Parts: sequence; structure tokens; C-alpha cells
Amino acid sequence: MAEPVLELVDVRYRYPTGPEALRGLTLSVAPGERVGLVGPNGAGKSTLLLALAGFVPAEGLIRVAGHTLTRGTARDVRRHLGLVFQDADDQLFMPRVVDDIAFGPVTMGLALEEVQVRVHEALHAVDLEGYETRAPYHLSVGEKRRAALATVLAMRPQILALDEPSANLDPRGRRRLIQLLAGLSSTLLVVGHDLDLILEVCQRTVVIDAGRVAADGPSREILGNRELLEAYGLELPLSVAGRYVGRGNAAAS
Amino acid sequence: MHHIMLDQFAAGKTAVHRLDPAGKTVATLAVILGTVLVGRDHFLPLVPLAAALAAYHAAGRTPLPYTLKRLLVISPFALAVVVLFPILEPGRPVWTFGLGPWTVNVTEEGLVRAGHLAAKFLLSAWATLLLLATTRFQDVLQGLARLRVPRAFVVQLAFLYRYLWILMDEVMRMRQARAARDGGLGPWRVRFQSGAGVLGVLFLRTYDRAERIYWAMAARGFDGRLHAPIQSRMQGKDWLFVAGAVALGCAAVGLDRALYG
Repeated sequence: MAEPVLELVDVRYRYPTGPEALRGLTLSVAPGERVGLVGPNGAGKSTLLLALAGFVPAEGLIRVAGHTLTRGTARDVRRHLGLVFQDADDQLFMPRVVDDIAFGPVTMGLALEEVQVRVHEALHAVDLEGYETRAPYHLSVGEKRRAALATVLAMRPQILALDEPSANLDPRGRRRLIQLLAGLSSTLLVVGHDLDLILEVCQRTVVIDAGRVAADGPSREILGNRELLEAYGLELPLSVAGRYVGRGNAAAS
Repeated sequence: MHHIMLDQFAAGKTAVHRLDPAGKTVATLAVILGTVLVGRDHFLPLVPLAAALAAYHAAGRTPLPYTLKRLLVISPFALAVVVLFPILEPGRPVWTFGLGPWTVNVTEEGLVRAGHLAAKFLLSAWATLLLLATTRFQDVLQGLARLRVPRAFVVQLAFLYRYLWILMDEVMRMRQARAARDGGLGPWRVRFQSGAGVLGVLFLRTYDRAERIYWAMAARGFDGRLHAPIQSRMQGKDWLFVAGAVALGCAAVGLDRALYG
């Protein structure tokens, strides 16, 4: 088996204000794998993403693309880890879409020509060509989400980590996002409650509860196991549930 | 929710829209400097400046109501100063009235001074508005960066512009949520208290958002310096435009010296 691109061993973190968000989480992800991270609210999923990038000082071993995360290596780690945050308004902080997408490549110190190549490539990947000079404020939620993804794609990270990528998207925007994610070749971590999306995009699903891994396996098995999901406050994805509840509902899915 | 943007007409395609933003910024500063340097109570040297701004206004096809409305919005700040001049400036009284125990003299000199100040204010504000009406804000920022305005200042402006509307949306949503429950009719004391609550929540949300934005920046390699790909586009016509504006500013000051010595 290839060297894992992401390795977590006994990762722990307690928020200064009290709750222990991560309690000995161990996880290993192979290059090119697409992993869905699911679990109830407050299970530690979002904290895990922050810990991967070194934004919360977690204990334990975190290795991203061969770099062990320490205070000194956080910048190298972030270069290989593309974090897409839940609220696209936080991600898009520059006055124009093009400046925002160029932000990552420019801070990486790439030459202007290379930056332009990356920007066009990223805009093409998310189907937002022609949006270069638009102001993020004037984009729709779906467009913002795709632009936020482009800002990270332009850095060509080895791992893409998305927090609730389909939140607040309408069905068409969500469908486009699924197609887009399914077409990417990088390693993918998808955090969220949209189990149907995870079932379509990720071949592996990890259930996180109370700050540690509660279940880990192929998405079809995990997301098809009603007892397991319900034990962690989740429900069967609609596309799976349809098979259980009579033909009338199945036809609707 | 979409607010009226500061630069809503800036996406036009006229010749003045296409001028380089850095050049336009310098030109605006030159005109404002010329306006400010005209001696006090001297109206005539301001006329060529006003004429040039009117020409620019027409060239940019900026709608007159847009300009007037915005001038009206920022006028109160200047008005507060302007109204005091006629009564504070000593001189020949044109109108005297009693105000309780005081006698107030409105002087001719004071009126002239107030008029002159108002004219200077209006010209300067007009010039700035025209810059924003014909240049997109992000281009103005790029221009400022190229003019070596300190990065921190440009970045502050960029963030203000980016997040001001989002904050206003948040305030609006909170106010709507409040109005949905009290019908906007509660006793003023309660409304005042809940208003303070809205303010407090807004502060916390803003603080949280600032942290998340910082994470998003750091996740993409932010190290405290903001680099932006900058391409200079100053061409012959831009230099000509700047030269014209500087000449205009100098001409106003020169005219002032020639006429009034």
C-alpha cells in the first residue's frame, strides 16, 4: 500500500473554553482516496479540519503529504492541504474573484504567468469562466461556493478538505458541485451531513463521534447500515432509504 | 440583499472609464489640491475647476441624480461648519436678530466665507465622487497600491469594502427578526435595549468572522503581507490626463495669485 497522504495518530484537542473536541482520533488516508467524514453536531468534524491546518494546537501526530505538523511546518502543511470553509463569504475576502483565486498562488511566490495559468485552470474547473472581475458580494450562493473551491484548486493541493460543501445550495447547485467533486483527482475529505453527496462522491466513510473514529469502511456499507447511523444521530441517505420504504418513495428519489 | 453600491456606474465603457485608475487618482488629488489652495473668499479661480469636473461628468455619462444624491448624503458634515461662519465672522452685519439674551449678527463677510467654503467642499466631494463613478473600487485600490500608499491602508479599505455590506445584511436580518416579533411597536426603552443587544451580537459575530477569514487567509499561505498581481497600464493618454489635471490645479492657483495678488 502506498504511503498515506494523511495520517493522524491519537489526535487530541480541548477548547480553551471547556469541551474536549478531539479525544484520541486516529485515521489514515491513502493518496487519491475520497473520504466522507460524518457524525452528529459537535462530534469534532470541523475541529478536525482546523487541527489539520494547525489552526487549533492539537496534541498527537498529524502528517500531511509527508510533513509532520508542528508550529514550524504549519505553512508547508497548508500548502498541500486545501481547506474550503463552510461560509464562502469567509473564504472570498478579496474585492474581485480573480484576486481571490490568485491569492494562494501569489502568496506561494509563483511567477505572474504561472499565477494566470492557475487562475484560468481553477475557473475552468468550477465552470466560472468570465467571472474574473466580478465582486464576490454579487455572486449567488452556488457561485460563491464554486469560487471558494477555485481559490483552493488554484494552489493544486494534494488534499482537498471541504466543510459542509453543499450547505444552502439549491438542488441544481448541489448537483453541479457533486459532478465537480466527482471529477477531481486529488485526495478528498468531505465533512458534512449531506450523506447522499458523500455516498456519490466518496468511496470511504468515517463516522466521527465524541472526538474519535466510531466507524470506518466503504461508504456503501457504512451509509447502508441503518442501526449504525441512527446510533450516531444520522439517518440513511435518501437514495438508500428509498429501497426500504416502498416503491412509491423510491420512484421519487 | 443587495445594497446600492458606491461604484454602481463604474462598469461603464466610456473613454474616462478606461483611463488608468492610478492616473485618475492622482488627477483627482491634483484637482482637490488646486481647489484647496485657492485663496479664501476667491470664487473666480474655482470656475475652471468646476468646468473641468462638469466636462468629466458629461464624458463619463454619470447620471446627475446619482451625484446630487451622494453630495446630499455627505453634505451635513460640511454644513455643520459652514452654518457657523455667517454668525461667527466679524464684519458688516446684514441681518441681526435676538436669540434669548444674545444678539446675533449675520455678517456679509461671514456669508461670503461660508459660500466659499461650501463651494470648495462641493468641488472636492464632486471630484471624489466622479473618481468612484468612473472607476471600480477594486481598481481604485489597485491604483492606490501602485501609488505606494502603505499596504496596511489599502488592505483595510479592501476589507472594509468587502465586508461592510455583509455586516449591513447581518444587521438588517437581525432587525427584521426583531421587528417580526415586536411589530416595530414596542416601548422605546425595550427597543433601545434590544438594539443594544443587536449591537453586541453583531460585535461577537464580526469577531468570529474575522477569525474565520484569517484562517481562510492563513490556509492559503498568508504571512502578513498581501501580494496582489499588479499590472501597470499607464499609457500615453493616462499621462496626458494626469498632466492636464495637474496643469488645471496649477492654473487655478496661478489665476488666484494673478487676480488677487
